[in-house]
Amino acid sequence: MTSDSTKNPSCMPSYSTTDDDVDKFTDIKHPDGRMSSYPHPSKWDNFVEYDGKEWPRKVARKYSLIPTICFNCESACGLLAYVDKETFDIRKFEGNPVHPGSRGRNCAKGPATHNQIYDPERILYPLKRVGKRGEGKWKRISWETATSEIAEKMRVSRAKRRDGIMYHVGRPGEDHYTNRIITAWGVDGHNSHTNICSAAARSGYFLWAAGDRPSPDHANAKCILLVSSHLETGHYFNPHAQRIMEAKMNGAKIITFDPRFSNTAAKSDIWLPTWPGSETTLLLAVANHLIQNDLYNREFMERWVDWKTFLRDGAASLEGGGLKDDQKAALKEALAGDDFDAFDRALKILYRDYTFERAAAESQVPIERIIETAKHVAEAGNQVAAHVWRSAAMGNRGGWQVARCLFFIGALTGSIGTKGGTSLNSWNKFVPKPYKKPPAFNAWQKMHMPHEWPFAMYEMSFLLPHFLEEGRGDIDVYFSRVYNPMWINPDGFMWLKALRNEEKMKCHIALTPTWNESAWFADYVLPMGHSGERHDLMSQETHSGMWIGFRQPVRRVAMERAGKKIKYTYEANVGEVWEENEFWVELTGKMDPDGSLGIRKWVESNERPGELVSQDEYWSWIFEHSVPGLPEAAEKEGLTALGYMRKYGCFEVAESNYLPYEAEVELKDGEVEGDDETVRNEKGERIATVVDGIPRKGFATPSGKLEFFTKTLRDWGWSELENLVPWDLKSHVHPSNIDREAGEMILLPNFRLPTLIHTRSANCKWLYEISHKNPVWMNPIDAVRIGVKTGDLLRVETEIGWFIDLVWVTEGIKPGIIAMSHHLGRWRLQDNAGGPPGMTALAELNEDGAGGHSLKLLSQGRAWKSEDPDTSRIWWKDVGVHQNLTHAVQPDPISGHHCWLQRAISVRKAKPEEKHGQVFVDTNKSMDIYKKWHALTRSAVDHSPDGTRRPYWLKRPLKPVREAYKLPTDPFGRSKKD
Amino acid sequence: MNYGFAIDTRSCIGCHACSTACKSENGVALGVSRTWVKYTEEGQYPDVSRHFQVTRCNHCANPPCVTICPVTAMYQRDDGIVEFDSDLCIGCKGCMQACPYDSIHIDPDTNTAAKCHYCAHRVEVGREPACVVVCPTHAIISGDMEDPNSEISHVLAKNATTVRKPEKMTSPNLFYIDGAEVSLRPTATPPSDGMMYTDVVRDYAEQVIDRPMQQGPRVAEQMVQVAYNAHHKVPWHWPVPAYLVTKGIGAGLFLLMATGIVFDLFTVSHKELAIGGGIAIAMLALTTIFLIVDLERPERFFRILLRPQMKSWITRGAFILVTFTHVAGAWWALELATWLGWIEPTLIDQLRLPMAIITLPLGVATAIYTAFIFAQCEGRDLWQTPLLPAHLMVQALMIGSAAVLTFSAFFEPGLISAATSVFTVALVIDLFMILTGEFGMKHSTDTAAAAAHDITHGRYKNMFWGGAILLGHIVPFVLIMVGGSTLAVVASIAALIGLYQYEYAFVMAPQHVPNS
Repeated sequence: MTSDSTKNPSCMPSYSTTDDDVDKFTDIKHPDGRMSSYPHPSKWDNFVEYDGKEWPRKVARKYSLIPTICFNCESACGLLAYVDKETFDIRKFEGNPVHPGSRGRNCAKGPATHNQIYDPERILYPLKRVGKRGEGKWKRISWETATSEIAEKMRVSRAKRRDGIMYHVGRPGEDHYTNRIITAWGVDGHNSHTNICSAAARSGYFLWAAGDRPSPDHANAKCILLVSSHLETGHYFNPHAQRIMEAKMNGAKIITFDPRFSNTAAKSDIWLPTWPGSETTLLLAVANHLIQNDLYNREFMERWVDWKTFLRDGAASLEGGGLKDDQKAALKEALAGDDFDAFDRALKILYRDYTFERAAAESQVPIERIIETAKHVAEAGNQVAAHVWRSAAMGNRGGWQVARCLFFIGALTGSIGTKGGTSLNSWNKFVPKPYKKPPAFNAWQKMHMPHEWPFAMYEMSFLLPHFLEEGRGDIDVYFSRVYNPMWINPDGFMWLKALRNEEKMKCHIALTPTWNESAWFADYVLPMGHSGERHDLMSQETHSGMWIGFRQPVRRVAMERAGKKIKYTYEANVGEVWEENEFWVELTGKMDPDGSLGIRKWVESNERPGELVSQDEYWSWIFEHSVPGLPEAAEKEGLTALGYMRKYGCFEVAESNYLPYEAEVELKDGEVEGDDETVRNEKGERIATVVDGIPRKGFATPSGKLEFFTKTLRDWGWSELENLVPWDLKSHVHPSNIDREAGEMILLPNFRLPTLIHTRSANCKWLYEISHKNPVWMNPIDAVRIGVKTGDLLRVETEIGWFIDLVWVTEGIKPGIIAMSHHLGRWRLQDNAGGPPGMTALAELNEDGAGGHSLKLLSQGRAWKSEDPDTSRIWWKDVGVHQNLTHAVQPDPISGHHCWLQRAISVRKAKPEEKHGQVFVDTNKSMDIYKKWHALTRSAVDHSPDGTRRPYWLKRPLKPVREAYKLPTDPFGRSKKD
Repeated sequence: MNYGFAIDTRSCIGCHACSTACKSENGVALGVSRTWVKYTEEGQYPDVSRHFQVTRCNHCANPPCVTICPVTAMYQRDDGIVEFDSDLCIGCKGCMQACPYDSIHIDPDTNTAAKCHYCAHRVEVGREPACVVVCPTHAIISGDMEDPNSEISHVLAKNATTVRKPEKMTSPNLFYIDGAEVSLRPTATPPSDGMMYTDVVRDYAEQVIDRPMQQGPRVAEQMVQVAYNAHHKVPWHWPVPAYLVTKGIGAGLFLLMATGIVFDLFTVSHKELAIGGGIAIAMLALTTIFLIVDLERPERFFRILLRPQMKSWITRGAFILVTFTHVAGAWWALELATWLGWIEPTLIDQLRLPMAIITLPLGVATAIYTAFIFAQCEGRDLWQTPLLPAHLMVQALMIGSAAVLTFSAFFEPGLISAATSVFTVALVIDLFMILTGEFGMKHSTDTAAAAAHDITHGRYKNMFWGGAILLGHIVPFVLIMVGGSTLAVVASIAALIGLYQYEYAFVMAPQHVPNS
């Protein structure tokens, strides 16, 4: 333990006063007639202002304003920490005015960072389990002990195998650091939450453009199509909301698809309350309107869409998709042509049945709204900004086609990469290179990327417990990082089983700033910092520009400015809260103390041979070498590049970056166009796409263009037309699968509130005060049918179990659908530990020994005494219901994404003995549903055209060497003779 | 200089950033809010709207909270900001009753009144309020409305705006662009058993009108409901109705006796004055105790007298009460001393008439001044009735004479007979006034009607009909008519209990009607 006297012995902050004059802004005039918003950066190191809490007593305090970036969603908005110059406690967080993405503004979660840091229930020291797993007995250990013990387990595992260590990340909150470390370990260890989040939409974007996600230029758009709720949530809520509303005030039309009347829908010009799964049909009706009336951007389509492949291969792929015989015949004829006119004819035939009437019937949306949508899209020219991130893409089987269809609108209007259009994320995101990069590993974790899902966009993370149950493998060292897998994943009782199983999950280390249900079952709980307590570098595609933001341990920075020597960040943070970056370096160094595994060198300093790299060294190198323009900007101010970033917390790399694919590429000698309009190097890698006879940058797809027709899917066994072109796929909650007559409904279980941080808000009192419960939204038509009113208890039964929650009756939801926000319903198993009593319910877990699991709430949220007087003022009781336990896993057979929408097979008023918050799940049914969805897959074993596990051009967060792609000789579930 | 806010609801996205930024900037405790975003929903699927309304102190040009504050803790700065000083506040909660907008609360850290203060500590040095800076969509615009070059001047010049409850004549300096009627007017939405993501807490101010919910056949095929709102605690509780009763007894007893003396209607002995006055003085002492008990900072009680804000009827009332208590107390002391034989009767023989003459107007003032405090409580429309001074006067006589009947064993027939007559007549008049007030007159506003409805048909209906009307008036009247001294004692006690029940309902009901 450190004996640093600057540390507050309690975790509550204290502040000093000063006799210095407060800084005044009264003489500063702004051209827009506003008062000053922020002190000028030149004042940041020594800023004096009155404390608002003490006012009208004039109590002045002196601060160091240290920039950092928010950790409460992935937007990476700028924050300015007001660090007391004497006590080094943080008085508040405001925005960072020079941050190009957030521009000094924040959502409710930004200021609430203060709650997280001074949360009286936070974990302050490394803990090691002493009782049985889940028994709740812990002892405090030193970081030295923690890193030594864990490193030893990793060393043993790594010496044995390359798939024994798994890092399962919820919030990454940074762009490269951890991935580089995992790569250095030489294991296939990266596991993410992405397949319960955004992987379906990513799949759609990737298949079109080899881009991971969209970057809409909302601010300059004329029409904004949102299959999302970006005015309240999502990547990237605050930066996007600013710009969407800016565009709206300038006359842009906002159109929102959502069966629930979100805040976004409330601010939209058109709300399209689609029946889930019909979004594709509706989008294609808009596309068809553009196609049939020649309102599409023919020039863009001809130049940048790969229509030739469709002409060449399309005729052989006309099965499926519900094409009529005459349609097929006409298509064959059209596809026989070889020019764009032929493609134009083919489009007209292909999409002719996607009429407004059909879209209205399938989506159950008033036809006028669809027609008006089409009109606005057609009138917006190439300024259509469109976004799908989770929403319908993550909700439905085949949801990845929502992104395909939405992108199709972008292509038809020529809005790709334009001003006011939609770019790809990589065009507006800048990830600088570190000082040295470990090589790709030769390993394949078969529980990440099993052979059944060769197109899985990300790891099949949410099936991990099912894979373990089936006997696919085990894990030596499992890190959960800012992640609560048992709580947030579907089928949580399967996770409970897995986390309890010490045979298969041999060591679980929870890296978390705060208690969560999964960490309760860990072997080590290691407290990691929030925003303002750690180093991270981030960049996000918030708009047409490009920037980097630097997260900093602000107390440490302020202390170092004051001349204090600090080796590790935990010496400066409250308690011994650390940051992962330093932890990884120490851990990795200890994992390979003598360098014999070839790992240690990647965490060694360039400057001090044999020593481990420091954060200052690491970031200095990056800022000096990898960020164009930064060293020059720093020099102008007489700062080092690191000094610049420590002062400003961000740097704008480019103000805008439109149409990068048009950029001309200068060919070297010998590089010539092949017969497929591309220029390739000797390795066969595309280096340019020839358009108008000029080699251009193009897209990273196999064709170098936007792929209307996905040849890769066809080659890997998904040969039906509906998979190959933008089309509608039948959702698992299609009207024909929901027997509404029998009372079945759809449970939309995962909408988000503007105030909460997924499930991790329980240590934010200001956020919980605003939003603490998740009642079931229900249309009055359904409420009358079922006989419930707002405040009544409801029993919702899914395919694997049921839960009890209150009803919130509103006209703001489509009849036939019930919806719940996904944040709430946190619980703890001990009254005095495992979560704040005001934000979590005391609960009891029970098992019947035959697969039946239940959760019972023993008490609701309540006030409690702590160092923070506010905890005794908690006035709310309902802290929500943990519905995710009752969700069956529903892996999409192509994208691998969990399809969130649940069939609610019975929704009725609760009986008197059924209590609020009660949950029951039969895990036998869990496995049955898993197997049902598993049966939909088309394994690489059966369909791989080249003996590999997965198309090589598809993304993987950490790509192994090509050799690792070879299909195994003993794929799981297949006997040798297969 | 004149600072104001323009809230552009067209661009507000309901994100609550302003709410948490304010908590952070001003260190606001849990359970209270200086600013919040009210959500209302209306319409019928699929034609639905949800309105977001940033809601807070309006920094009224004519702020009732400042007028009622007895100690200048709530004050208006020269730049238009309505500011508070927790070092001065005694916690009487008058400002919370005066504010028609639910903008003021008691800060649990200091137990004093607090609200949005326009981030005066920032604005004073030329920096925008925290909520303005944080807002992602710049929906909150602040600035000097007298500066033609300020952003707010431009915005207000270009856009039509509305304010909350313009009929309260407070001249709010917070203007809504595109404000929604269902959000602006708290009575436009029915009560709810829950909100979209927030508990509704009982015992807090909440809507009470028995209106059909949107359940079943929809109300006019329309949903209108609050989806999010901040809660507001009821400021005044039992000590206030209790104070009304004890003050009424104290004033009424002296009035009765003084009237008899001044107009020579009946004789009052030294003993009767010593005992009757003693009861009255005890009641007045209790009155003061109730008043102090209800303060959030009782130890600061004396500030009302030491740094008075004389426009406040709380202050004026305190002076009236203190003066009356001292004058009447001096009289009583002389009568007591005379009765006990400590002093010669000659002194009191000379002083009695002048004392009674002085006591009479002071007693009337003591009985009725509370009506003027209630009149300054502009957030409680039911209290704004012009009948109230007369009503309080009648009640004082009613319970003053009731007290004589209760303790009739100590009094002579002359006084008892006078008390019986006054009691009987006052009972009838009071009943008439109550029923006229509730049913004979149209309530001035929707909030007054809502509170009255709560008294006669809502949560206080048993207290009103069973307690105030039956036990408090009809039973005593019948008993008095039947006659007999024992029954008169019972009648008087019933009337006292009934009046407390009436005052309780009258004080509590309007506080449950939300002002936001």
